[in-house]
Amino acid sequence: MDKVARLRERAKELLEKQEVVGVLGYRASSRPGISQVAFITRPEEVDRLIFDSACSQNLANYLLKVKDKGKVAVVARGCDSRSIVVLLQEKQIEREKVYILGVGCEGVVVQGEKSVACRSCRYPNPVIYDEMVGEEVHFEPETVEDEFDRLTPDEWWEVLSAEVARCIRCYACRQVCPNCYCPVCFVDASMPALVGKTHNVSDNIVFHIMRALHMAGRCVECGACHRACPMGIDLMRFNRQVAKIVRERFGLVAGAKPDEMPALTIFKPDDPQEFIR
Amino acid sequence: MKVFLKSEDLKKLLEQFAGAGKLFAPVKKGGYSGWARVSSIDEVVLSGAQAVLQGEEVNTRKPAKVFVFPQSEVMFEFDGERAVEVTEVPEVVVFGLRPCDGRAMAFLERFFVENKPEDPLVRERREKATLIGVACNSPAESCFCTAVGGGPHEGKGLDVLLREVNGGFVGEAVTEKGEKVLAGFPAPSKEAEVEAEKRRQEAEGKMALRIDLKRLKEVLDKGFNSPVWERLTLECVNCGACTFLCPTCHCFDITDETVRGKKKRSRVWDSCQFTLYSQHASGHNPRLNPAGRYRNRVMDKFKYTVDMVGELSCVGCGRCVRVCPAGIDIRVAVAEILEGV
Repeated sequence: MDKVARLRERAKELLEKQEVVGVLGYRASSRPGISQVAFITRPEEVDRLIFDSACSQNLANYLLKVKDKGKVAVVARGCDSRSIVVLLQEKQIEREKVYILGVGCEGVVVQGEKSVACRSCRYPNPVIYDEMVGEEVHFEPETVEDEFDRLTPDEWWEVLSAEVARCIRCYACRQVCPNCYCPVCFVDASMPALVGKTHNVSDNIVFHIMRALHMAGRCVECGACHRACPMGIDLMRFNRQVAKIVRERFGLVAGAKPDEMPALTIFKPDDPQEFIR
Repeated sequence: MKVFLKSEDLKKLLEQFAGAGKLFAPVKKGGYSGWARVSSIDEVVLSGAQAVLQGEEVNTRKPAKVFVFPQSEVMFEFDGERAVEVTEVPEVVVFGLRPCDGRAMAFLERFFVENKPEDPLVRERREKATLIGVACNSPAESCFCTAVGGGPHEGKGLDVLLREVNGGFVGEAVTEKGEKVLAGFPAPSKEAEVEAEKRRQEAEGKMALRIDLKRLKEVLDKGFNSPVWERLTLECVNCGACTFLCPTCHCFDITDETVRGKKKRSRVWDSCQFTLYSQHASGHNPRLNPAGRYRNRVMDKFKYTVDMVGELSCVGCGRCVRVCPAGIDIRVAVAEILEGV
């Protein structure tokens, strides 16, 4: 039985036995290349569920939208499951109210090419799940050149400025991110305003750098923001670098291990504190 | 007034504007096409059925509204005693906008200029812009201008409409400004006109969608509290991509800043999809519910602006369909609303 058939079968059983109030998954959209999110609440609707390379969104984001409805089943790949781990660690959701249908993922395909984030993915399979649907997936991740290592800080600044110059501040990146859930985002704070609202590189870069820093140790590099950006900004440049620093400095990978807390929420007495001079 | 421009003639005409530093046109920027000041006409793609743009993308990512209503603009500076107007509006020639964007320009003029009190900045920008549109012979799968009253060869809102045929373009002046641009070119041959008509019909034939706009309006008039909004909203993440890239979305916020000692009042695009959009000074927010924000966008396109200025504010350009990170298609949403409100 293929993965999708099995997924539909299990979704149907979970709904029929009333083990969950709904199943969060993907359905086909009217357009090729991108799926839509589905929240299936009736057993007779499970045939709408799909899972393929067009499933672009991170479902953990939608889990926050439906978490108050009761216990929910959610389809989760490696990245989605890591986002769920972060949300659990940050106490945004309760483990017993989520039923994780794990799926192995070959990567999201955008316009015929594997999405930038997925090319270097080291976690195609969920790190936590209640059951696996279908086989695990294994592939060799591509190595991405650490561009910032060969650039001076001034050159970084130029690279990033050029990248964010295109930003229209639609905040699609923030809105699709499961770990961007602050009730009031710093860019929306108006009394006092923290970031200028006019459209210029300095305000744009403040938004992107602040967001990257907020994501340190929390971003699972799912690439949902990268795919969401209508202006084609390579947000993975920010995400990859931040994740790399956290990995090198703290030996931590966001959401990879449920019992390992995110870098910025813990303090170790034996921290070398090498930044204090 | 109708003329015929050979491809070389058009190139020469555009080169004059480019030489004067006035020409803006779509150019390839990474994975999409965007508006840029063009110094050499070679940057603009001028051959083939996709006269303006290459590749799959049929239109610019950002709409042409940026020429009359930029994302942010300084309204005035404050010198300590009084407001000083500082924004100098340059003369521009915009080449290569599509009829949907032209129609959107007509809407923005109606909304900002004819609808009193007028907005002087929009009026001045439109007056100083010459819009040379290019008819669509190959609409994209996401295009639906014919379903909302427009057409791929429509000239509304433009100054000049160019319709590509073999060997050149049939040019039509829509305004007096357009007549000046086309003055001196010969009249088109019968064959060229027949071919242009044939291409129009072919292009229209590629867009199959029909929307019963009258019924949609009636449904929306009664549909404020419909459960359909909640149902449609789960997928929507309430980002502003659809509104910012919509050629008719016209909401703005006003913001004061002091930059290097200069006090400026600017206006910037705002989006009804943002929570802050409806936030009151008291802290109360009447539209905290995402469904309410989604509803506002649909209502605005198909009902509110009809009530206000008698025009739909959806021109069927399909940008919101193409950029939505949640895969939401307003055509499908409209169909569901017609069924379910």
